[in-house]
Amino acid sequence: MANIKIYTTPTCVYCKIAKEFFTKNNIAYQELNVIEDETAREEMIQKSHQLGVPVIDVDGEIFIGFDKPGIMHALKLGK
Amino acid sequence: MYDLIIIGGGPGGVAAGIYAARKKIQTLLITDSFGGQSLVSTDIQNWIGTKSVSGLDLAKMLEEHLRTQEGIEIIDDDLVTGVQDVQDALGIATKNGRTLQTKYLLVASGSRRRKLDIPGEKELDGKGVVYCSTCDAPLFKGKVVAVIGGGNAGFEAGIDLLPYAAKIYLLERGEVPRGDAVTLAKLTASPKFELLTMAEPQKIFGEQFVSGMEYLDRRTNETKRMDLQGIFVEIGAIPNSEFVKDKVTTDKLGDIMVDHKTQKTSHPRIWAVGDVSDVLYKQNNISAGDAVKAVLNIYDELNKSQA
Repeated sequence: MANIKIYTTPTCVYCKIAKEFFTKNNIAYQELNVIEDETAREEMIQKSHQLGVPVIDVDGEIFIGFDKPGIMHALKLGK
Repeated sequence: MYDLIIIGGGPGGVAAGIYAARKKIQTLLITDSFGGQSLVSTDIQNWIGTKSVSGLDLAKMLEEHLRTQEGIEIIDDDLVTGVQDVQDALGIATKNGRTLQTKYLLVASGSRRRKLDIPGEKELDGKGVVYCSTCDAPLFKGKVVAVIGGGNAGFEAGIDLLPYAAKIYLLERGEVPRGDAVTLAKLTASPKFELLTMAEPQKIFGEQFVSGMEYLDRRTNETKRMDLQGIFVEIGAIPNSEFVKDKVTTDKLGDIMVDHKTQKTSHPRIWAVGDVSDVLYKQNNISAGDAVKAVLNIYDELNKSQA
């Protein structure tokens, strides 16, 4: 099982779409709200060099935004 | 060979798909996502028949309504890249390498965010340059930011930033911002907010993240520099019409010109609706209505050609 972390803000719609995608495919993920969790925010910025959400970490591979084809590839999900 | 290919999954494309299916027109709809540009709205209060709906929920409603129609084919992971004339039809090419043929084409591809097109913008995209204020405003807690654009979108970005940013500059190119006075009053009530008119951004600075911006003060013709960490770009939209530009007449903004009675373009096999067309008001409800008009007109055309 892949270890997935998703860095989010509560108002970000692409974060919601990404989470729904994982749920639909029965994939467990850990959500980190970068507004409440300052450590997570620093971690996200350090990993992605981005000031934008979502950032998705799939086993150490960093995806900026909800890069569906990239994530499907990383998780070896067929179309 | 299809009778109709619809490009787009926003209110225009979906409305067209539903009407086309109900008319039993042999139709394919191509999009890479549903919901159109309102997808990122937290609350839409003017979609008729619905008091309040989020952009994401509206997108789901549209998609579900379309998918319950019988007979319509849907490709939901591709983009049209080119349109060609072939004998008595049109050839359509897509990003994923599909080649398709159709008698008629309805373009409902919408528009996308306009960029500043100044040095530093591309390099610092996502590193302090922001195009989705509802998504990313909370990340600028305690920071100095600038919103570019004095329309309603710029004002809304200011509102999104009020609870977080330490200082918000709003730069308007003209003498007076065009957004609603009610929203501006909410902003000016905050001591954090400062409106700069006749101000035109020229350059964005920063190594790893945005650290400053240079703008032209159009009153004095002076170049001024400000230190800041975030730049929220809200300067309108440009139509997604490039892939069909050499087939239809467009205006100077790139909007596809249509006959507003039928939505037909200058090309006898191509119709256009919504934000990609030269419709005067870019609205979800109008896109849906114009799409219905277009499909009914295409249906008449099909019957004529088969008669």
